Amino acid sequence: MNSNITRVALGIAAVAVAVLLLIVLKDDGSGGEETTSTPTTTKSTSGTTKSPPTGNEIPTIVVKGGKPVGGVRDLSFEEGDRIRFEVESDVSDEIHVHGYDLMKDVEAGGKVSFDFPATIEGVFEAELEERKQPIAELTVNP
Amino acid sequence: MSGFLLPMAHALASRQDLPIPAWLFAWGASIVLIVSFFALSVAWRTPKLERDRWRPVGAGFSGVLLGRPAQLLCGAAGVFLLGVAVYSGLQGTEAPDRNFALTFIFVTCWLGFPLFSVVFGDVFRPFNPWRAIGRAIGGAFTAIAGQRPAHLTYPDVLGRWPAAIGLLAFVWLEVVYGTSGGVAVGVSPQTTATAALLYTTYTLAMMALFGVEKWCRTGEVFSVYFGMFSQLGAFGVKDGRLGRRLPLAAASHWATVPGSLAMVIASIATTSFDGAQEGAFKGGIEQTFDWLAGTGLSLTASLRLTDTIFLLLCFAGVAAIYLIGVRGMETVRGAPPLKKLRSGFAHTLIPIAFAYLVAHYFSLFVFQEQAQFTYLLSDPLGTAKTDLFGTASGGVDFNLLTANAIWYVQVGALVIGHVVGLTLAHDRATAYWGDFRQAARSQYWMLAVMVSFTCFGLFLLSASNS
Repeated sequence: MNSNITRVALGIAAVAVAVLLLIVLKDDGSGGEETTSTPTTTKSTSGTTKSPPTGNEIPTIVVKGGKPVGGVRDLSFEEGDRIRFEVESDVSDEIHVHGYDLMKDVEAGGKVSFDFPATIEGVFEAELEERKQPIAELTVNP
Repeated sequence: MSGFLLPMAHALASRQDLPIPAWLFAWGASIVLIVSFFALSVAWRTPKLERDRWRPVGAGFSGVLLGRPAQLLCGAAGVFLLGVAVYSGLQGTEAPDRNFALTFIFVTCWLGFPLFSVVFGDVFRPFNPWRAIGRAIGGAFTAIAGQRPAHLTYPDVLGRWPAAIGLLAFVWLEVVYGTSGGVAVGVSPQTTATAALLYTTYTLAMMALFGVEKWCRTGEVFSVYFGMFSQLGAFGVKDGRLGRRLPLAAASHWATVPGSLAMVIASIATTSFDGAQEGAFKGGIEQTFDWLAGTGLSLTASLRLTDTIFLLLCFAGVAAIYLIGVRGMETVRGAPPLKKLRSGFAHTLIPIAFAYLVAHYFSLFVFQEQAQFTYLLSDPLGTAKTDLFGTASGGVDFNLLTANAIWYVQVGALVIGHVVGLTLAHDRATAYWGDFRQAARSQYWMLAVMVSFTCFGLFLLSASNS
């Protein structure tokens, strides 16, 4: 009987600790959720036309000698955002954004821009297809 | 940042999972703790899973499912599909996501069979292409020579060790050897096909030496690995008859063969390594890689060596956690000898191994199976020239699963695996310790082991891709 009471007490203690942990951590983790922008209704993922920069700096990935300068670039977006970035390359190759399955050719010494809606959540790679060289990792958070 | 640029590419995983958010991590960990304490308070006092209460299903049903025509059909299908995979690997495109071989072997079979084995029983056995070839050759030999082929006696001390080592080798090929060193599958279709041919030669040789069924029970990696998961389910074959049994109960006698513990530890370790290499271990891997590359080794050799070291560290780490738990249980009054304890609780890790698989590969499986049954089926070589079933233009809908859905499946799998593991461990303890109090005391140790694995699993999910 006594040991049962001990167990129940331990159980309650565990619940209390768990709830406390939850409150402490939840505040931290879900802070970004409130600021999620309204999801886009655009279905098309082929809209990769160049568009003028709108306020925010468009990140540019510079490729030198077939490798991204400064390593594989991490870019983060919220679902519903527009994913915009530019690639400046000194080699000619095809840039492939996985998952969204977008491809664009880049000339040696040329520059291409990507601009498409973030409709799929997850982590996706952009790579130089011929060289199988990743240049950016796109994270789309819900 | 790494001084050298790690050659990494995500050959198969076009969409990778987002790390689970902190609040879900906390939820998962809290539920694990609450469930564990709850389990202690409702625990039963006499073993319930030591006997599996196997009952045969209808003879007609069993006869059709296990009869000779079905065996021939399934065996032939297995051999044919292995042939298609090898042919695609050798003759098809180098693009990993467009070649039938990689998705079929590493996703459809490697991840699909554990799932189906848990639900339906040992479904790999009838489809096992090597068993089918081995039996066909054995049958032909018997018909020509007029006597059954003679075999060497398999050294029983080896037990399932060949399969456990084979499992490490398979995953090493999958995630370490491939020069792209990427997530999920880094190896090329050509290498995969060559490896499959080598494995076929090796397996047939071993079957010739020790007998087909004997080798399937002990050394054939896939039979032993998928068979391990089938022990959790409610269906099993005894004396050529299909039957229903108490779920989980069959697992309690699985680990009596030597090497079984190594098998289940290898399973957890390999999944952990694959889950951690881009997340939790990324820093360590980069440092070791830099150091090795700095000593003059080639980049590829450095990466392979680094990954091999971390894979073995995972194996050692998982083994250490389990063995500490066993040592702890040994201190409880009335404990059986260490050797018996060590193998006696090995099966309690099978649900953890399965939960790890689901947590780490669920989304890959859902996405890649869409490819398997559309363009990979119609255009196995990936040449864009064939369209066998008219599905070559199909694709993968990456919106099929939201990030939230994936997270809940991942955390749910770990929590359920944890509960099932605890259940098996508690049941075994009541069988080993006559005194319930001592049995319960011994289980504080296994509880610690299980909580470690589950929280480590959650941690890996929260740190993936960092």
